Amino acid sequence: MNVRELFRDKLENSEVIPGDSVRNELMRKVAIKEFMLYNPSRFNIYYLGGIAAAALASILIITSKPDVIKNQKEEFKIENSKSLDTLSSVQPQKQLPVERTTEPERVVKSTSNKTVPKISEINYSVKKLDNVVIDNKKEAGSTVKPDSLKIKAILQNKVSDKDNLVQLQRNIGAAFNVSVSGGCLPLKVKFQNKSTSYDSCHWIFGDGGFSNEKNPEWIFDQEGEYKIILKVFNTGGNQAITSSVITVHPRPVARFETAPEKPIIPDDDIRFINYSNDAVRYKWEFGDGNYSDAFEPDHRYRQYGNYNVRLIVWSSYGCTDSMLVKNAFSGSGCFIDFPNAFIPGSGGPAGGYYSIKSDEAARIFHPSTSGVTDYHLKIFSKLGIPIFESNDINIGWDGYIKGQLCEPGVYIWKVRGTFKNGEPFVKMGDVTLLKD
Amino acid sequence: MLNDLQIIEGCARHERRAQQMLYDKYSRFLLGICLRYAGDKAEAEDILQDSFLKIYFSIKDFSGTGSFAGWLRKVAVNTAITHYHKNLKHRYHIEIEEYVSIETGTSSFEESFYTSEELYMVMNELPSGYRMVFNLYAIEGYKHKEIAEMLGIDTNTSKSQYSRAKAVLRDKLEKLGKLKNSY
Repeated sequence: MNVRELFRDKLENSEVIPGDSVRNELMRKVAIKEFMLYNPSRFNIYYLGGIAAAALASILIITSKPDVIKNQKEEFKIENSKSLDTLSSVQPQKQLPVERTTEPERVVKSTSNKTVPKISEINYSVKKLDNVVIDNKKEAGSTVKPDSLKIKAILQNKVSDKDNLVQLQRNIGAAFNVSVSGGCLPLKVKFQNKSTSYDSCHWIFGDGGFSNEKNPEWIFDQEGEYKIILKVFNTGGNQAITSSVITVHPRPVARFETAPEKPIIPDDDIRFINYSNDAVRYKWEFGDGNYSDAFEPDHRYRQYGNYNVRLIVWSSYGCTDSMLVKNAFSGSGCFIDFPNAFIPGSGGPAGGYYSIKSDEAARIFHPSTSGVTDYHLKIFSKLGIPIFESNDINIGWDGYIKGQLCEPGVYIWKVRGTFKNGEPFVKMGDVTLLKD
Repeated sequence: MLNDLQIIEGCARHERRAQQMLYDKYSRFLLGICLRYAGDKAEAEDILQDSFLKIYFSIKDFSGTGSFAGWLRKVAVNTAITHYHKNLKHRYHIEIEEYVSIETGTSSFEESFYTSEELYMVMNELPSGYRMVFNLYAIEGYKHKEIAEMLGIDTNTSKSQYSRAKAVLRDKLEKLGKLKNSY
């Protein structure tokens, strides 16, 4: 029966009993997952979400009602004052600054409200702008903004036409620069706000993130195309919007292993097996000063040593990844191991020659080895008296001294030698001689 | 005790009792599969739990034609593959250090000589890539081309990993055999 049949016959349908905790933990996970799943017949997160939404909505309705009433009152007041004022009358202007702190919000609300008559809106913004001019004069006469200068100029020209007054609104414009418009994952992008005449801004990065900073930095940690949206606002209730696209390329994945599993260096040709993904170009650094750009190179090292092997890969977008294996061949294929017991034959000295097949009954004390070139084995009695020596890897100890079978018991062995790769070894241990 | 059909219908309705019955009836069978794909029993139990979650929540996908056990097996194997992919990068570095020596031979093995526990143990010690390919090819009976697609590797890689896995297993079994004989 070969390996495949053995495993197939024995393990294809074999059963293993899970630990006791597995079942409980599983049922807990099922309960959690079911809670997250929509199912009309039992309580779950959607019900919870629904309840929360309903609660939130009712709170909003209750708290927003007075606001609506207030707004209506204010609109009414504005309309009233409109009928009273001649365009440059001083009285309303002076009154307005008092209310100014609450004004911007109200402007937004009233413009979004469809019931507000157009005229009042225009009128309203005019007053607001007049107010800005006055404010600027009051606060800092030295730094008068160009915008307000323009307004002032228009005012001095005594424009009385209502249509022209609309143009008094500040010219808001959205624009921004990016440090890079595309690159490899993870991509850090610096944004520079180049907008004009704005007071606040809102960035939307397309990956669910947003920022209100003027010049934000953002790291994109997933591949894709992101639409960056910048909205700018000013206190006049105006806004402008612009957008741009950032492309984030995926990184390739560098991955490899070497064969054979435990190479004997320098004897073996080593195959480098490439498991990389999404790569189009490869560079191998074998650690001994040699390089290759083949997909799966073979390489032979000149001498045994600790080599750090690195694979660098490039994707078609020029993104890179690398994998470094330090001391790739540290567990070399050479070893020597001794058993801790043997049973000499009682039929007289066997001579010590052995092969792995012939010594199935463990009659001869000998090591299991690979890649041993130089070998020297000594056996001592418990008292430290040398009783056996061998310089031939193929000759072990048969348990006899001078034709006499040794007493059953513990004996000491010591071995020294060299592996094929030049690495020396010294090992010592004890072995029990058992009676047949 | 309900029969398979009743259990399936119960699970489709998310009935706790049917889910528990399904677990009691098939968990040992499925863990037997998961353990072949895992590095140890704890990992196998993780795969088992994930498999059951998939089974419970997609039991509607079971067409009803073909064997239910076969469908369960397929889910467990796919879950094991997902786990393998998740742990791949992390695992690989360990494997480098846990190199095993290969001595090729053509020994033949007595079925009765090894216990299932020993075979599981030998299997768990395999590097994870070998283990996946060996299981999928030798036990589940997939073709190398299918395995290559499932694991995202080359067909030739699958073939070479399979033959190396076999060599490592043979070597481990021989060593284990010697050890057992020496007792």
